[in-house]
Amino acid sequence: MRKTTKILFAILIVLLMAGLGQAKTLKLAMDADPVSLDPHVQLSGGMLQYSHMVFDPLVRWTKETTIEGRLAERWERLDEFTVRFYLKEGVKFHSGNELTADDVIWTVNRLKSSVDFKGIFEPFAAPVKVDMYTVDLVTKVPYPLLLNTATYIFPMDSKFYSGTDDRGMDKAAIVKTDYSFANENLSGTGKYRVTERQQGVKVIFDKFAGYWDTSSPGNVDQIILTPIKNAATRVAALLSGGVDFIMPVPPQDMDRIENADNVQLVTMSGTRIITLQLNQNRVDAFKDPKVRQAIVYAVNNAGIAEKLMKGRATVGAQNSPKGYLGHNPALTPRYDLNKAKQLMEEAGYPKGFEVSMIAPNNRYVNDEKIAEAAASMLGKIGIKVNLKTMPKAQYWDQFDAQVGDIQMIGWHSDTEDTGNFFEFLLMCPNKETGYGQYNSGNYCNSEVDRLTIAVQSETDQAKRIAMMQQMEQIAYDDAAFVPLHWQDLSWAGKKNLQIEPIVNVMDFPYFGDLVIE
Amino acid sequence: MSALATFRESYLWYSFKRDKIAIASLLVLVLLFCSAIFAPLIAPYNPYDPEMIDIMNSEIPPAWEDQGSREFLLGTDSQGRDMLSTMIYGMRISITIGLGAVLLQAFLGVLIGLFAGYHGGRLDAIFMRAADVQLSFSYLMVAIFLSAVLQAVVGVSRFGEIAVPFLILVIGFSQWPQYARTVRASVLAERKKEYVEAARVAGFTSPRIILSQIFPNTLSPILVLSTIQVANAVMSEAALSFLGLGMPIDRPSLGSLINSGFEYIFSGAWWITILPGVLLVVLVLSINLLGDFLRDVFNPKLYKG
Amino acid sequence: MIAFVIRRIIQAFIVIFIISVIGFAVKQSVGDPVREMTGISVSAEELQEFREKLGLNDPWYVQYVRFLGKAVQGDLGNSFFYKRPATDVILEKAPATLELVFVSSLIVILFSVPLGVFSAIRPNHFLSRFLMSGSIVGVSIPVFLTAIMMIYVFSVKLGWLPSFGRGELVMIGGWDSGLLTVDGWLHILMPSVALSSIMLPLFIRLIRAEMMEVLESEYIKFAWAKGLSNRRIWFVHAFKNTLLPVITVGGVQLGVTIAFTILTETVFQWQGLGFMFMEAVERSDSPLLVAYLMFVGIVMVVVNTIVDLIYGLVNPTIRISGASS
Repeated sequence: MRKTTKILFAILIVLLMAGLGQAKTLKLAMDADPVSLDPHVQLSGGMLQYSHMVFDPLVRWTKETTIEGRLAERWERLDEFTVRFYLKEGVKFHSGNELTADDVIWTVNRLKSSVDFKGIFEPFAAPVKVDMYTVDLVTKVPYPLLLNTATYIFPMDSKFYSGTDDRGMDKAAIVKTDYSFANENLSGTGKYRVTERQQGVKVIFDKFAGYWDTSSPGNVDQIILTPIKNAATRVAALLSGGVDFIMPVPPQDMDRIENADNVQLVTMSGTRIITLQLNQNRVDAFKDPKVRQAIVYAVNNAGIAEKLMKGRATVGAQNSPKGYLGHNPALTPRYDLNKAKQLMEEAGYPKGFEVSMIAPNNRYVNDEKIAEAAASMLGKIGIKVNLKTMPKAQYWDQFDAQVGDIQMIGWHSDTEDTGNFFEFLLMCPNKETGYGQYNSGNYCNSEVDRLTIAVQSETDQAKRIAMMQQMEQIAYDDAAFVPLHWQDLSWAGKKNLQIEPIVNVMDFPYFGDLVIE
Repeated sequence: MSALATFRESYLWYSFKRDKIAIASLLVLVLLFCSAIFAPLIAPYNPYDPEMIDIMNSEIPPAWEDQGSREFLLGTDSQGRDMLSTMIYGMRISITIGLGAVLLQAFLGVLIGLFAGYHGGRLDAIFMRAADVQLSFSYLMVAIFLSAVLQAVVGVSRFGEIAVPFLILVIGFSQWPQYARTVRASVLAERKKEYVEAARVAGFTSPRIILSQIFPNTLSPILVLSTIQVANAVMSEAALSFLGLGMPIDRPSLGSLINSGFEYIFSGAWWITILPGVLLVVLVLSINLLGDFLRDVFNPKLYKG
Repeated sequence: MIAFVIRRIIQAFIVIFIISVIGFAVKQSVGDPVREMTGISVSAEELQEFREKLGLNDPWYVQYVRFLGKAVQGDLGNSFFYKRPATDVILEKAPATLELVFVSSLIVILFSVPLGVFSAIRPNHFLSRFLMSGSIVGVSIPVFLTAIMMIYVFSVKLGWLPSFGRGELVMIGGWDSGLLTVDGWLHILMPSVALSSIMLPLFIRLIRAEMMEVLESEYIKFAWAKGLSNRRIWFVHAFKNTLLPVITVGGVQLGVTIAFTILTETVFQWQGLGFMFMEAVERSDSPLLVAYLMFVGIVMVVVNTIVDLIYGLVNPTIRISGASS
């Protein structure tokens, strides 16, 4: 009996939807699904992607890497410490509560207490409420990247997340390994609400009827997200029509997708630099800049980009991708095997030496194959490399312990600014300040340190650019690390999706604005 | 004793001559083993020599395909390595692991089987129970455990160097009960026979009786079992490498080759997966066929399963 | 009988205890769950603090005693990734694997019995010869290779069958079933065939061998002499005796099958226990790993016990040790 009613009901709904001719569903396959419904539980691309679907940030990056207002209608810099944000009025959360300055303040405070986000929000002092819809974000030091950081502020429904839940626990608690109210309940301002969620299997997002942004052209009413970890399977699902949109797309399948009839491929050069670090504390030879240069000259990164990445990557010679303020256009890739051999001879290692190398095998696009290729390239100048690759869960521990003489790391600047690369990857490692946390090469140059600190509070744009380009130049001349490439971002979907307008260099397609023809 | 051996040998030879499948599979097997042993002489390239690998040669299809090249008969993989050479070297690793693991299994299993069977009692019960438990846990679980332990002991970065002995250890340790059970069964059958009684009465020590009297009689089931187990060990290694728990990518076995090509199968570079796959099947199949033939000839009582 | 069951239960506890100790001893080296749960730019101090909070900094035996204390109360800890009790996660994923094993066992039984019996009765028929050589080829192809080939042919080239996942599911009383929808059956077809591809040839050969042996026995010869019909002899007298060893082997093979579900589920992205296990390894979700291993241990002991009991029931001449008194 119940089954028949269910079926009848389903038919009714289908008829209704057909009658309206409106309901559009997007079947989306990504490599992973959100680990939680709480946007502050983990800082990762996947969680930010999710935040853009169910929340809205104060401001967000556009396709042209400029910043546009979302919940903040406009903003103005009052002084070098403060930016005033004017919120849109009448924005409703999924719960029905209205967005006010209190929610923004509450959210910034929660971010500052979150393990993952507190680093980014370290320069921030407590926000100041001006009136119901106006709030001042204040930093402790002059901070040129305030607006960039505001892209991480997705105001949460402070009334909804305050108080205690039926288990008597604080609703605002950020819990990584156990139940929490925020892990399982959601109230944002975003276009979609989560109506069904089976972790690791699927998430269903339904359109929120009271969504504030009625000017968006987006017409997707429902998104069904299925995580498909295996890249080849993900592509097969798109080609067989099982899903409508996939991200990311493995480079080896891009040609095939481009040639297929019903699907399209959209790519954009990315900003995550893939590098190898040469540990000077473990290998004496790496202390010699000539040896490091020899290694940079020996690694055919153009070949890796062309063959392993199928031309879907931009060959790198520095940290900052084109478009970043610190990008130094004078620096070019330097593959030259003869020069490399000559440098090795000059450095006194004509016969080479033996080193170990570790790399992850499920973190970056083709990471394992890239490591393997780099290892055999070093073999050509007599450096015998013992390579071990491992899943990322094991990798970062080993990376921190610096067990490999050469270690792979890819880095994307959270602030979309050059300084971030240097703070984490190239400043002298210092346990107290936390700088150089991922500098497993132990490269240390006081000039680089000085410049990196200086640009943090330099608000004169022209000066900042000059300083950051100089930093890149020094790292290049010192061969501080081996730059490989910036991997392309890639999305693919059926032809009737207007993908191009919604994608951006941050790799967060704004699905709220997606148009299905 | 020697008369019996001669008889068996001649019977073996007699049946072998009449069995075309057995002849064919032995020929194939000899061919494969020889190319594995003499890999450095036979393979056109040395896949471990970085001088011979150029990334710019990657993913060239086999010579008979449109974009194939004569330089690389079976094409190249994603690193630009010659597939034929990589496969031959990969098979060498697979066979080494297969044989090594079986030797270890046989050593452990025969030892345990002989003594447990001969002495019986508590020792026997404990070992056989352990065998049951061990058998119900597949080698995969054992391998995951051991690989974790070993990586902790030797350090992750040096794991590549010990991957071969490690896999031998894992597959060897997880399969000894097969031998122990088979040997124990034959020991139980032999123990009651008169010649053993006679030896005991004559005052021989039990290790001596076991080794010199009983052990030779368990040889034929061991031989038959061994062929099957080599095939199994090669397959186990392939499965482990396929899951990324086996050989590292720069010293690939057939299993890790199949794994590394899996991503490419949809994009058209089928040869990176299919060719090593075919070689693996041919290798295992010829061992299995030979094992089947031996089983028919000796008709031993094997422990089933 | 009861004594036997009690002994088995004690045995089960010992097995599970040993598994949990080993699991615990090695879980540290599977990786660092903390790194998997935090963004990359989190400071070293914060990580250390988080580890401290989870009790991961204690020596493993301290952690183990803590774990044991809770395990006795049925709490195996929370999965780091799922943020829920590990037992809940396992129970949620179990239906997928059980359905897969069920359908592939069905395939094995449906095909191996008639084919095995046939090739025993008519050993010289061309079909029997074909089956025998075919089954050797079957045993020689690794499961993952079969699976990859099937995806390549049926999903990519022909586009007939879906290549991943379980398809449309129906929830009945906490059991997510894919066997009630056409879509679900389309999804389970390839994984279950792939999974049975190793067992099927093995069982055909086994049934054939056992059946042939039985047909040679005095007992069957006597039945012939009595003038019973062929059919009765084959399907009632002979087949019944063939079943015994087949059941035993079936029990032993379960361990292998569980290992193969790991491979099959990985290739087909089948959301079951095997897939969960590999993901837990990759994410170093150690509580889930330990819970899974203990779960498998329990399943093994239970199945072995049932097999032994059935064995005793089918063949009363064999006394289960411990029951004779």
